[in-house]
Amino acid sequence: MAIFDVMGPIMIGPSSSHTAGAAKIGYLAQRVYGKPVRRVHIILYNSFAETGQGHGTDKAILGGIMGLRVDDPLIKRSYDIAAEAGVDVVFEEAIDPEKHPNCASVTFTDPDGDHPFVVEGISVGGGSVKIVGINGVRVDFSGKHNLLFVTYRDVPGMMAVLGDALGTRGINVAYAQISRDKNTGGAMAIMKLDQPCPDDLADYFRSNKGVTDVVTINKLGNEYERTEED
Amino acid sequence: MSVPKKTEELDEIKRIRIHGLSDARRLMEEYDIPTLAGFFVMYESKNQELPESEVLSRMRTILDAMRGTLREGLEHPNRTPSGMIDGGAAHMDAFIQGDGSLVGNQFSTVIRNTLAAAENNACMGRIVAAPTAGASGVLPGAYLTIADGHHVAEERILQGLFVAGGIGECIAIQASLSGSQHGCQAENGSAGAMTAAALVSLFSEDQEAIESAAAFALKSVLGLVCDPIAGLVEIPCVKRNVMAAVNAVASAEMALAGIRTVIPFDEVVQAMDHIGRDMSSSLKETSLGGLAATPTAVRIAAEFKRMRP
Repeated sequence: MAIFDVMGPIMIGPSSSHTAGAAKIGYLAQRVYGKPVRRVHIILYNSFAETGQGHGTDKAILGGIMGLRVDDPLIKRSYDIAAEAGVDVVFEEAIDPEKHPNCASVTFTDPDGDHPFVVEGISVGGGSVKIVGINGVRVDFSGKHNLLFVTYRDVPGMMAVLGDALGTRGINVAYAQISRDKNTGGAMAIMKLDQPCPDDLADYFRSNKGVTDVVTINKLGNEYERTEED
Repeated sequence: MSVPKKTEELDEIKRIRIHGLSDARRLMEEYDIPTLAGFFVMYESKNQELPESEVLSRMRTILDAMRGTLREGLEHPNRTPSGMIDGGAAHMDAFIQGDGSLVGNQFSTVIRNTLAAAENNACMGRIVAAPTAGASGVLPGAYLTIADGHHVAEERILQGLFVAGGIGECIAIQASLSGSQHGCQAENGSAGAMTAAALVSLFSEDQEAIESAAAFALKSVLGLVCDPIAGLVEIPCVKRNVMAAVNAVASAEMALAGIRTVIPFDEVVQAMDHIGRDMSSSLKETSLGGLAATPTAVRIAAEFKRMRP
C-alpha cells in the first residue's frame, strides 16, 4: 500500500469496485479497441447486473468507453454524451456463475453491427481492474503497465521483428503473450513494457506488411486516476 | 551527552517498511523526526520515489477534492434513485438553522457535513475514497469541519491528512480497509480512527495522544458488520459515516483530555483482523445477512429490482 492508496483515489461515487472499477474497464476496453466508437454492446454480469443500477455501473462503464476518467462528473451524463457523439449503446444484464462476480463484456462493432471486437474485464476491488479477454482469447493485464498490442498474419519471425526494434530503442519487455486465431490465420501479441512504446515505433510496426493493427496504451497511473488538477 | 541521532543516514535510505504504528514511532525517534505527519511525508516520498514537494502537492489536491465534496453535498437535497437517501443533510441544516441542536452548532455541523459528504457519494458525486468510497464522508465531515471551526491554518490541515493516511496505512498493513474482507469495522471503523488521530494532531504533538485517539475510535466499533440494503452504498452506510465521525470527535476529545489507551493501537488493529476473519461472509458486503436480510430490506431490494429498466 501507499499513503495515496489510502487517501484516494478521487473518483465518482458510490463504489470503488462498481463505479470507479467499471469506468476503468470501459476506458481500457476502448483504448484496446483503438478505433472511434460507433456502436457498443455492453453485458453486465453477476453483481454488476444485480446492483449495477444503484451504483451507476452502467453510466460509469459507458463513461469510460467515451474516454471519461474515474473522477469526471460527466460520468453521470454518459448516456447523453454517447448520444451526442452518435454512438449506439445497448446494455444487457446476465448471470453467469462461470464469470467473476464483477464482470463486464464490451463488444464494439461497425455502425451496421459488423466486425465485432470483444473486450472482457473484471473489477477486483478498490478500483483495480483486469482485462481478462480479447475476442475470446484469455489475457491478463491492467492499466498499471505500458502495453503494446500487435495483430499480424501468423508468419514466422514476427516476434523477432518486434523484440529487435523494441530492444534497439532500449525498451524492455516485462511480459509477452502470443496467441493465434485458427479461423482467420491471424495472431495477436500483447506485451507489457517497462517503458512506453513511442508513436514512431508503433508506426514502424504498422509499416510492416504482415502487421494488421497496432495499439499502444501507456500506463494509466495518475494521468487517469487524477491526483493533480488539469 | 545525548546519543547522536541518525538524521544524516536518512538520505541514504531508499525504502521504508513498517509493520505498524509502533514501528513508525520507533523510526521517528531514531531519525529525530518530530511529527507523525512529517514521518509519513518522508515515507511516501521514499517509497514512491517522489520529491516531498510532489507528495505535499498531491495531498493538497486530495484536500481540495474533499472540500469540493462537502460543497457539492450541501448544494441541494441529495436523493438517490432508490429513494432511500432523501435529503438528510438538508434536514439537518434546517434543524441547525432553527436553533434545534441538542449538542451545539459545531457538533451538529459535523453531523450535517458528514451526511452531506456521504450522501454526495451515494449520488455519484466526486469524492475521495479515503479510505474507501463507502466511508468517504468521515474525514470531510469531522476533520475538516472541526479544523475550519477552529480556524486551523491550511498547512496544518494538510499535515493532518498525512496522519490520517498513515493510520490508514498501518491498518492496511496489519488488517484490511475493505468491507468485503473485514466488514464495516474496516471501512467506517478505519475512517474513524484516521479522523480521530488527524484531529488530535491539529492540536497536540503528543504521540501518545494521537495513538490513543485512533485506538479509542477503532476499539468502539470492533465487529461492526457490512450489510448494505440491496447492495447499495446507502443504508446503513450513510448514517454509519455519521457514527464514525461523531465517534472520531469523541475519541479525539478524550485523548486531548489526557485519557490514554491501555491496548496499543497496533494490537487493536490485529484484534480487528482476527474478528474480520472470524466474521461470516454473510456480514461482509454480500447483503445476505444483517440489516440487508430483514423483511423490510428484502422487500425494498425486490422493489428496486423491479424498477430497473
